[in-house]
Amino acid sequence: MAGNGTITAGARSFAPFDQERELQLAAALARCAAGDRAALQLIYNSEAPRMIGVARRILFRQDLAEEAVHDAFVRIWRGAAGFDPHRGSARSWLYAVVRNRALSIHRDEHRYETSDESAEHIDCEATLSRMPETSTLRRCLERIDRPRRDVVVLAYVHGMSHGELAGKLRVPLGTVKSWVRRSLFALQECMG
Amino acid sequence: MNEPTADDAMAADYVMGLLEGAEHAAAERRIETDNAFAQAVSAWRERLADLDATAEETPPSPALWQRIAEATKIAPIDALPSARAALRGATLWNNIRFWRGAGIGGAFATLLFATIMIGALITSRQLRNDMIALAQRKPIYVAVLVNDTTKEAGAIVNAFANGRVELIPLRPIDVPAGRTLQVWTLWDRAIGPKSIGLTGQSRTLQLDLQSLPETVPDQLFEITLEPEGGSPIGRPTGPILFKGNAARAL
Repeated sequence: MAGNGTITAGARSFAPFDQERELQLAAALARCAAGDRAALQLIYNSEAPRMIGVARRILFRQDLAEEAVHDAFVRIWRGAAGFDPHRGSARSWLYAVVRNRALSIHRDEHRYETSDESAEHIDCEATLSRMPETSTLRRCLERIDRPRRDVVVLAYVHGMSHGELAGKLRVPLGTVKSWVRRSLFALQECMG
Repeated sequence: MNEPTADDAMAADYVMGLLEGAEHAAAERRIETDNAFAQAVSAWRERLADLDATAEETPPSPALWQRIAEATKIAPIDALPSARAALRGATLWNNIRFWRGAGIGGAFATLLFATIMIGALITSRQLRNDMIALAQRKPIYVAVLVNDTTKEAGAIVNAFANGRVELIPLRPIDVPAGRTLQVWTLWDRAIGPKSIGLTGQSRTLQLDLQSLPETVPDQLFEITLEPEGGSPIGRPTGPILFKGNAARAL
């Protein structure tokens, strides 16, 4: 039951415009499942730029990001019937597919090197400040002290592994794992 | 909330992207087979979704859609039976199908009834004229606006060939003092929702779409509750009472 309550609460926190978008995305996914390719293009036209942005934060390179979005759309097309609107939002389902593909490419081809400059310039606080003031996630993240909350942003947004987090934050692996565990527990408690 | 279970922790790690190798594969298998675990994963995706929205939009190269179109030429393998289930899941679509299925005659009978009911609530000669006009001319597009929570149909939008667009309420809407009902349409995402009507009570409205292009399939219409005089920022700010997409009338 806790899961259901969370999803409903999440949906309520959408801005009105997001609610419209959510409805359109859910309808488009239903049409994709029925074999309507125009609906896939509708999703592409509406979401591709943001999806490229999501993939680029993990992969840094435009060509790799486009590869991830390409693979994601093939999977969205084949897997649209697996989207269940009663379980979660279309938005989070679509972006989970994109992040999965980007993470997979990241693991196969683009491990962060210690010398990787692009990873040096990551600004977790800037990411947080781009979330709307009304975001429950933002409010709950801000209640977690830095640098413990940074692990959430670095892992989710930039696809860093436990090892990469330890390297970037210069703390032992065990410490990073415990920060992740405690931060996620705090989030779950704060967000319900 | 209780201590998170091991499943919760695994679902969180999976959504965060922290599982690798065998653990990652095991989690993906469990999503397919274990409903409770799949729900925990969905819950974590919803919790963290706002972070996706912080990504900067980056235009894809023009060739990307072509490549995707090439790769998706074949219809999904399990298109038929599960697709119907998926369509049933989309309640709004359901409603439109219902209205289409009921046939335009049935829809008119319902409209007639609804119009009389509203006519009794709000005395209006114009309503009767509208009713006659409705009987004489059939709309090209019809949108049934539905409340997301109660699934009740609250109003119908009819778009006619001559560009006239009207909203017919199907039930009285309680408007608190100092608030107003505002009607919006989303024709182009890039432009955003446009205000097309404002009313203090639920009554038939001629909507102002003069400045917008012709109504198109799937165009979104919605009614929100706004401060008196309409939304101060030109975009919906209040709760969405009813919404629906335009479908071609048969």
